[in-house]
Amino acid sequence: MTSIALEGVGFVYPDGTRALTGVDLKIGGGELVAMIGQNGSGKSTLVRQLDGLLRPTEGRVLHDGADVAETRVAALATRVGIVFQNPDRQIFAGRVRTEVEFGPRILGRAPDEAAKAAREALQVVGLADLVDANPYDLGYSRRKLLTLASVLAMNTPVVVLDEPTTGQDARGVARVQRVVRELAAAGRTVIAISHDMRFVAETFARVVVMGGGRIILDGSPDEVFAEAAWPMLASTYLEPTLAARVGVRLGLGSTPTEASLVDALSKQSSGILPT
Amino acid sequence: MPPTPSSYHRLNPLTKAVVATAGSLGAFAAGGYIGPIAIDLAMALLALRAGVLCQLGRASLLLTLPIAISVVLVSVFTRAGTTVLFVIGPFDATAEGVDFAAQTLVRLFAISLSIGLFVMTTNPRAFVFDLERRGVSPRIAFVAVATIEAVPGLVERAGVIGESQRARGLDTEGSARARLRGILPLVGPMIIGALTDVEERSLALESRAFSRPGRRHLLWAMPDRSWERWLRWLLSVGLVATAAARLAGWI
Amino acid sequence: MLELHGIGYRYAGYATPVLHDIDLRLADGELVGVVGANESGKSTLCLIASGLAPGSIGGGLTGSLSIDGVDMARQPLHAFATRVGIGFQNPATQLSGVTGSVFEEVALGPMNLGLPARETVERTKAALATLGITDLAEREPRRLSGGQAQLVVIASLLSMRPAHLVLDEPTAQLDPEGTRLVAEALRELASTGTGLLVAEHKTDLLDGLCSRVIVLDAGRIVLDGAADLVLADSRLEAWGVEPPSRIRLGRALAGRGSDPSAIADAVLAR
Repeated sequence: MTSIALEGVGFVYPDGTRALTGVDLKIGGGELVAMIGQNGSGKSTLVRQLDGLLRPTEGRVLHDGADVAETRVAALATRVGIVFQNPDRQIFAGRVRTEVEFGPRILGRAPDEAAKAAREALQVVGLADLVDANPYDLGYSRRKLLTLASVLAMNTPVVVLDEPTTGQDARGVARVQRVVRELAAAGRTVIAISHDMRFVAETFARVVVMGGGRIILDGSPDEVFAEAAWPMLASTYLEPTLAARVGVRLGLGSTPTEASLVDALSKQSSGILPT
Repeated sequence: MPPTPSSYHRLNPLTKAVVATAGSLGAFAAGGYIGPIAIDLAMALLALRAGVLCQLGRASLLLTLPIAISVVLVSVFTRAGTTVLFVIGPFDATAEGVDFAAQTLVRLFAISLSIGLFVMTTNPRAFVFDLERRGVSPRIAFVAVATIEAVPGLVERAGVIGESQRARGLDTEGSARARLRGILPLVGPMIIGALTDVEERSLALESRAFSRPGRRHLLWAMPDRSWERWLRWLLSVGLVATAAARLAGWI
Repeated sequence: MLELHGIGYRYAGYATPVLHDIDLRLADGELVGVVGANESGKSTLCLIASGLAPGSIGGGLTGSLSIDGVDMARQPLHAFATRVGIGFQNPATQLSGVTGSVFEEVALGPMNLGLPARETVERTKAALATLGITDLAEREPRRLSGGQAQLVVIASLLSMRPAHLVLDEPTAQLDPEGTRLVAEALRELASTGTGLLVAEHKTDLLDGLCSRVIVLDAGRIVLDGAADLVLADSRLEAWGVEPPSRIRLGRALAGRGSDPSAIADAVLAR
């Protein structure tokens, strides 16, 4: 699958709350996209439109240009895998191996194929040596990585991560970043919802900012964390990264990541940039 | 204190509970039509006073109708009787059957109206605190209220679990075999989650001195007036008397 | 004064201890941070300091825990509640679920202590004021945001007037807005004289709040000292702990750029 698109998508919950209005979004194959915005801005609702868990009340969702309104969720799950935030609302198996093989088995893969896919996925997240452990003997960080592996084992072209770094320690966050980069290298599309601005700026090439059910900004981290965009970020209760703020204070332009800040500072001190 | 929009709401919870009990049981203790119909009317009037008549009527119908329909069908067509009213296929509709059905209907309504009225006009916490004031252990009180209040959370959790599994390809719209496969992935996390929840909650409660023995001084209590106490006695005695009279064959 | 001496602990049903030889002292009013990778023993330490381990969850404890000189080994669990309050990361499971308003929720603890109604009301009002949530008093606890719920939880613990408050990753499940709320509340708490033991990943939160920081690694205390020194220690990353942003950024920028003091100012400014 090479592209996923939302055209004029709106969504109203059964109780009347409007969660999305006029959302136009196109994501191509292999893109790394982060979705940011305050709680209630529509990020979770939007992401659930991608695999049919929620169906738009206005507009259309297209996979490779084709409207998926009539396609069942079970079928869409072969194209878009979502890793939800709370691992304990998903893990049910007594062994890591069984949990990760579940997805591929459901999709109809033969047992040995599923086992292979599971092993590879566990390798990617760093849990390969815990294959026979009981998931509940693992700490929270590892259980989160487990649910990530469960979805990776399904080899979907699009992978969606809902708050992948919440509750993770420093090592866990680094592991998630590595996984995202590996997926990108393999040509898979990764979409992540996150409120960790540093993780977003360092890992993703495109940032979509949501506020009040609409997309209010869509661009690279350089653009989204630039000073001109700060009022928009503030309107959805977001703060730019520390590196971006320091960069502006020092008059270095847009420096969303620490690496870009260091780079700009070096250029400045060697005379390339004005002070 | 929870809001009390009418004077019926302001009655002590125990009084309202006794009214509900007297209404439900009384409808069966009394024979014939007059008793149950009177109870139905009384509950409707009280509901009107409390401003919940429409709500109560709707809920009552929703609850009673399914049972009522089957009761009516069974009674009308299969109850032994001599006066045949009309015939449908092999089934005779007898007047005795219709009579029995009607009597059962008014009693079913008496129960749903009585209990419904109690539920709609009584705050569960107010009821439980009142019981605690009368000597019921606060821990029992807690468990009762916590159970009721936990339901929406459980429903939401089931939804989240369902989403996670469907996103992994679990087919909840397909064949029966597919759905059977889905039981463990849906129920498993629910149970584990419930157990973990209970564990976390009890730890948090310990930190709030929950296990300390002894009475507590509650911040508020529903008032209990002396005439309410008389009313409760009256209703209880009346109920017992009606039942006794019925057994003795007087009514 | 809360003292842990030679504490070792293993969870019920497990053979391997998760804490070894812990010696820790918390003076009244002291603000101490605890950092360490996931599974380094931070949560276990919190459970022990509050008496819940082994008091509520069982398990094997070696060593001694004493509060104000009293050996807590033979004390009933509810004796801890007035001395040490503990808050966890999930706000949803800490709200009792049986109260109709935030006021009632915060009053639950004092009520359970059997205090007269007037005292309960006074303590509740004071706790709400300290955390700046008096305007939430009539709200239904179910309808609070994560950050607001955590504040209510902390107020509920505070109304019992413990000498020490233990918080196990209070912001772990919160969004940036919620984290901000809790961080501000903790600063307010600091001025009340209640001792605080906070376990956190977000070292930024502890930076500027705590006077002392302890580092746990594989169940042992590997560093215990003044916050400024510990948070700037170069071994933190090896222990799986990320230093606070200002320290990290400061290090990355050291030696670059022509004006080091301007850089330092830019990093420190809010």
